[in-house]
Amino acid sequence: MQSATEIAPDMPALATETLRVSGLSLARGGIELVRDFSLELAPGDAVLMSGPNGTGKTTLLRALAGFIRPDAGEIRFGDLPPGEAAADYLGWLGHADGLKHNETPRSALRFWADLTGQSRKAILPLMRGMAVESLIDRPASRLSRGQQRRTALVRVALSNRPIWLLDEPAGPLDGGGRARLAALVAWHRARGGSVIAATHQLLDWPEAKRIDLGAHR
Amino acid sequence: MNALGAVFAREARLAWSGGGGAAGPAAFFLAAITLAPLAIGPAADLLSAVGPGIMGFAALLSVLQSADRLFGDDHGDGTAELYLLSGVSPAWLVLAKVMGQAAATLWPLPVIGCLGAMMYGVPVQPALIGALALLAAIPALSLIAGFAGALAAGIRRSGLLIALIATPMMVPVLIFAAGAGRSAFEGDERAVANLLLTLAVSLGTTALAPFGIAAAIRSRLS
Repeated sequence: MQSATEIAPDMPALATETLRVSGLSLARGGIELVRDFSLELAPGDAVLMSGPNGTGKTTLLRALAGFIRPDAGEIRFGDLPPGEAAADYLGWLGHADGLKHNETPRSALRFWADLTGQSRKAILPLMRGMAVESLIDRPASRLSRGQQRRTALVRVALSNRPIWLLDEPAGPLDGGGRARLAALVAWHRARGGSVIAATHQLLDWPEAKRIDLGAHR
Repeated sequence: MNALGAVFAREARLAWSGGGGAAGPAAFFLAAITLAPLAIGPAADLLSAVGPGIMGFAALLSVLQSADRLFGDDHGDGTAELYLLSGVSPAWLVLAKVMGQAAATLWPLPVIGCLGAMMYGVPVQPALIGALALLAAIPALSLIAGFAGALAAGIRRSGLLIALIATPMMVPVLIFAAGAGRSAFEGDERAVANLLLTLAVSLGTTALAPFGIAAAIRSRLS
């Protein structure tokens, strides 16, 4: 297994922040999915959310990112609501990987680095960390699902944002991929970053808080 | 590279590498103006009279033809969420995106419009004014198509919805753009006025549509 110190891109320090969620209720299509959910995510923390399909893991992540307005409760990044703070603090990995099928990882990651004002120098070390550096010039349509996921994780890390929201990050990953994901998350937490991941897989992240969302219905 | 420049360049690059670049709209435009005379009939004076109007109308259709992909793809592959979280103002970002796409795919329209009008028997000067009007109309047409596409993003068979939303909004720019070529052909001094009005509609659309597109993207994600 890759150790956390092997991922060592030269990146500016993270602007760490605490995420506080209190009394959150979320409904989709008239069905209440999450009721009175509270959470405090300090720098360095990791949360693994599990629960059967349809319990609102993705909905919760989308609410934290400010895409969905909660029915009740409060989400705060420091003192700011998601609408004002999400773009400063969030690294986002959704259902989809955000890759264009005719674009290579090199072009895509350079674009995201430019768009978010980050240095392109971190691209190669991070790709090496996820073991996809040899695929850098292959169009995304010719990458496997797991390779696409790894590339998307590189994009999350490249954004240099302190709070990562990951929706099924390990879904298509093999054992080696999961180990590299764990190393990437360990590296991020060691820098003061924090992670919330919705997952069906048993991810072995040290000192990660586990939340069963099925219990919040 | 600054963020908006990066969006513009990426859209242009993606349009070339996967979408065939300018070939799609150009082929559609050519097909439309080639078929129209077969339906209208061979009367030379009739063809030269309708030429400027057909050019404007066919250009509008060829812009609409790819409207579902512009924001529909972003919605499906997760790019839209990342855009909203990028920290770049969404209205500026979508403006750069639509303009990047338009620059890469729609540049042949004025050229084909000018040559097509001459093939219909329109003299050179009115044909050129018609082409200028098409050029002035491109920002308005592509932003309106983008707005409709963003509203319909992620809906199955979005083409129908896009046509219903975009067609009425494109009426003013079509009237002015086609009117410029037509007045020039008739030797009417209103040609320049029509050209300026086309430009005015494009400028107004450029100022307003990006906010509408950004709001549409946000609402399609919630």
